[in-house]
Amino acid sequence: MQIGPILVALRRHKAGTTLIALQIALTLAIVCNALFIIQQRLVRVDRPSGVQETNLFVIQNDWPQKLSPQDADARMRADLQALRGLSSVQDASSSNSFPLRGSGWDNFVRMTPEQVKMTTDTAIFFSDEHTLATLGTRLIAGRNFRSEEVGSQGGTDPMHARQIIVSKGLAQLLFPHDSALGKTVYVSGDNAPSTIIGVTDTLQAHMTGLWAQAYAYNALLVPARLTGDSTFYLVRARPGQLADAMRQAKAALYAQTRMRMIPPHDGVMTFAQVRERAYDADYGMAILMGIICAVLLVITAAGIVGLTSFWVGQRRRQIGVRRALGARQRDILGYFLTENLLITLGGVLLGIVLALSMNLWLVLRLGVQPLSLTYLAAGVVLLLLLGQGAVLAPAMKASRVPPVEATRSV
Amino acid sequence: MLKMTHLSKVYRTEVVETYALRDFNIDVKEGEFVAVTGPSGSGKTTFLTIAGLLETFTGGHYHLDGIEVSQLNDNARSKIRNEKIGFIFQAFNLIPDLNVYDNVEVPLRYRGMKAAERKQRIMDALERVGLASRAKHYPAELSGGQQQRVAIARALAGSPRLLLADEPTGNLDTQMARGVMELLEEIHREGATIVMVTHDPELAARAQRNVHIIDGQVVDLSEEPRFHAHNARVADA
Repeated sequence: MQIGPILVALRRHKAGTTLIALQIALTLAIVCNALFIIQQRLVRVDRPSGVQETNLFVIQNDWPQKLSPQDADARMRADLQALRGLSSVQDASSSNSFPLRGSGWDNFVRMTPEQVKMTTDTAIFFSDEHTLATLGTRLIAGRNFRSEEVGSQGGTDPMHARQIIVSKGLAQLLFPHDSALGKTVYVSGDNAPSTIIGVTDTLQAHMTGLWAQAYAYNALLVPARLTGDSTFYLVRARPGQLADAMRQAKAALYAQTRMRMIPPHDGVMTFAQVRERAYDADYGMAILMGIICAVLLVITAAGIVGLTSFWVGQRRRQIGVRRALGARQRDILGYFLTENLLITLGGVLLGIVLALSMNLWLVLRLGVQPLSLTYLAAGVVLLLLLGQGAVLAPAMKASRVPPVEATRSV
Repeated sequence: MLKMTHLSKVYRTEVVETYALRDFNIDVKEGEFVAVTGPSGSGKTTFLTIAGLLETFTGGHYHLDGIEVSQLNDNARSKIRNEKIGFIFQAFNLIPDLNVYDNVEVPLRYRGMKAAERKQRIMDALERVGLASRAKHYPAELSGGQQQRVAIARALAGSPRLLLADEPTGNLDTQMARGVMELLEEIHREGATIVMVTHDPELAARAQRNVHIIDGQVVDLSEEPRFHAHNARVADA
């Protein structure tokens, strides 16, 4: 190995060496953090909703005229009856929102009426006895709502749910050491207790943003139909009949009354579309960061190719001298690969410090998770391979410089 | 030591063939100091580059230290250059990024020599040329004569069988040139085989034998010994 003389020679080319090492350091810091954030986003995107998403679709229904709560409730019940009567439909329910919708009601939960500070925040889903079957979410404890327990509630009415069903996530948060079943909690500003009559398996909230990460699996079902200006119909199609059910459902609703609005573009959406829309920003961020990483890596590789090519041109005679003194082609190749490895190692060491500092800043300022060392290690390997790959072509060119070059005039 | 028989070197382009060497014959015995002279473009440097295995030849035979080199691959040629040949160039050809010590070390590293042995040889070679105290200096910090001495130390450090010198004093003033030439003569007296290409008839006259090249051919081969010291020493022995 000729590391000593190479290091000595590099010290005499400080500017080029430092610039490339800095570029490598910066690339490592950005790429490690970006890839880690991409991975975090993709994990978020892939997390289960707790809903059997296949064959499930959602209809957004708006009432254009002001309806009394009684009329709105009557129309909704008629709509649901019509939907459940379709041959392609397995079950249907109505709600104010649903998992992954992005917006909806979220409210606080307290353990006692005197409690000032909330125990946690949770998504509120208006439900009936068909909701769990429609979503395909199973109960892991307790029972479902009974039809006689399901009432109606206006958008501005205070919460008064005497029975509630909570998701597993919320149950564990509220009662970490005990079963939640039969326990009472206080929902929103309601000072009357709500009894937990059932606990569902995993069920995601409507909130998907990073801010709601802590509440992502907090869902609370209240037995009521929301008699507001709009509602969502959740419809489960029979297996293999999703397209038919979506078409028939819309027609069936308009057959009930044409005095409604179903938005033409996104009024009827499969749950796959709901999921895609919910994580649009995450996909966008992942793609953007991926592009930034790729561009940075290409620029760094181009920088290495450029600098090495320049050095090969500059040292052509020196290479000839080395060849004349007995260097084989592979010795010259090895020289440039080693030289690049040393520069890259320097850049990588600095890059590790930069990457960790950058991550610390992101953790403190933006709540990003601490960088996994696996990603750091992968980034180091990636940069080392990139450096060696980038230097290969100019190094091979250098190795082909003939020994007679030593005798050429400058 | 060095024997070329009917050797030719042709540079070909699409339209013309140029003979740099034609039916070239030379036989340099071990321990000889041969000066190669000739006008510019006569083929002196081509002869030296082929002799030093820096270039291949087109036809004929070349035996170096008993080895026919025409069929050797690049690795084998590199090995012979490293182990059997020492080069002294007109432009010194030191590596500017390396200090004197590291410059002398270059061929020894390619030989895969252990660090301790390298150090011993480097210091011996630098002592030999009177530059041990400048081991940590860079070439740019030395005079032309000192640089050429470093180049000679680099050539000597590997204990080569053959020293090839291409206008070794061409870039030096008279005083420095004299010093370098005296060093070469001393090295020759110690038994080294030296082939030196030069324009300078005075330097050539100090060699043991002169070879004159014109138009790629050896035209005058005198075996008149100019140096008697070596022979005398051999005779004494």
